[in-house]
Amino acid sequence: MAIQSWRIRDRYYRLVGSRCASCGAEYFPPVYRCRECGSDKMKDKEMPKTGRIVTYTQLHEPLPGFEAQVPFYLALVELENGARVLTQVVDSPDEAVKTGAKVKATVRRAKVEGESGQIIYGYKFIVA
Amino acid sequence: MYLMQSKNRAAILGYGAYIPYYRLPTTEIARVWRGGGSGPNVEKAVASMDEDTVTMAIEAARQAVAMSGLDSLGAVFVGTESKPYAVKPTSTIVAQALGQHHTLAADLEFACKAGTEAIQVITGLVGSGMIQAGLAIGMDTAQGRPGDDLEYTAASGGAAYVIGNKGEGAIAVIDCSTSFVSDTGDFWRRAHEKYPRHLSRFTGEPAYFYHIENAVRTLFEETGHKPGDFTYAVFHQPNPRFPVEVATRLGFTMDQIKTGLLNPMIGNTYSGSSPIGLAAVLDEAKPGDKILLASFGSGAGSDAFCLDVKDGITKKRGKSPTVKSMLQRGTRIDYSTYSKFRDKLHK
Repeated sequence: MAIQSWRIRDRYYRLVGSRCASCGAEYFPPVYRCRECGSDKMKDKEMPKTGRIVTYTQLHEPLPGFEAQVPFYLALVELENGARVLTQVVDSPDEAVKTGAKVKATVRRAKVEGESGQIIYGYKFIVA
Repeated sequence: MYLMQSKNRAAILGYGAYIPYYRLPTTEIARVWRGGGSGPNVEKAVASMDEDTVTMAIEAARQAVAMSGLDSLGAVFVGTESKPYAVKPTSTIVAQALGQHHTLAADLEFACKAGTEAIQVITGLVGSGMIQAGLAIGMDTAQGRPGDDLEYTAASGGAAYVIGNKGEGAIAVIDCSTSFVSDTGDFWRRAHEKYPRHLSRFTGEPAYFYHIENAVRTLFEETGHKPGDFTYAVFHQPNPRFPVEVATRLGFTMDQIKTGLLNPMIGNTYSGSSPIGLAAVLDEAKPGDKILLASFGSGAGSDAFCLDVKDGITKKRGKSPTVKSMLQRGTRIDYSTYSKFRDKLHK
């Protein structure tokens, strides 16, 4: 696993973001300083695993490593705590993928790294 | 003297099943390789291209842990013959995804019975007091060589069980079990080979039937139980016929096995086969019911269990999706899509 992926595996597997110990604001991906109150007292916090699609598109020209998966849905999902996640939406009929649709998180293969063959796992969402 | 029974009984505290979204009708396989007809099962469950044993194990495990209400696991065992890595544990990835680090983690392999082996080992660890609770998973993305008889049934899916000390939250107490093994070459896959090989009809009488019958009859002899004592029985399901046949030979009726008989709808999920059948039974069972569970793994062996359903089943029902709901949520694919999903076709 690339070092970059290894360092943030809890973000990929468990949607670990951050919560401000001063004002309670929650963020995903995690931040080092609260955008609401400026505090640097940020704690790891697992995000809710459900939310709604804010907007979405269908990709036909993906980034390297995702070629075999096209076409696939990429969506901006607002979680129950207000944090927003850019994510693939999988295992859902075309007619179900729409703005406002309720979704839930799952863990899937994101991609397989080049010659090393290491598998990068990460969050994706399914229409609930 | 062959009965395995922990001094302190362990119990299932939570469970979760996983069946992938995609289904391949066996008429599709027959259309491509025979020009028509179908396989013994109607459909098989197919993991998507971004799924593997790790992702499916995580899904089932999350449901099981949530149902158990526990936040600490002393062991995470994954029984599978389809590890994504030849060297690198599946169990550590699952443990990481569950946020579990102070835990014993291992992958077990015994063809189709690695899932019940995991249940056996966790039961022993809990029963001895070494751990308070552990997670046993049986999960596979089974593969059959294109056109081979095995391709009709080899499927994806499985189930996870949190096993801990019996108490108020117990769903079912694992009362006792037996195991029976022999060196039998009915089915195998050598290192670096993608698909398993099998000895066709040899997989029946000297393998499946011989081992399951020995394990279950030993359990009957040593406990005094009779088939009529059990509300449900679940057998390993390599095809729709074998579990019905072995049930009949052992004295069980269709009423006792129909709830856990999933092969016609999802195929053979290998290490996940009997564990997912047990999950379907637990979805419907009532306190006081007795369940017989008998796995089979090629190579070969069988584990037979006697489980007693407890009050916890009523309190915890509805905390994880039922097997029936997973059967209902799915979409059919054709052979080309299946080939792409399961790495038989490359761009």
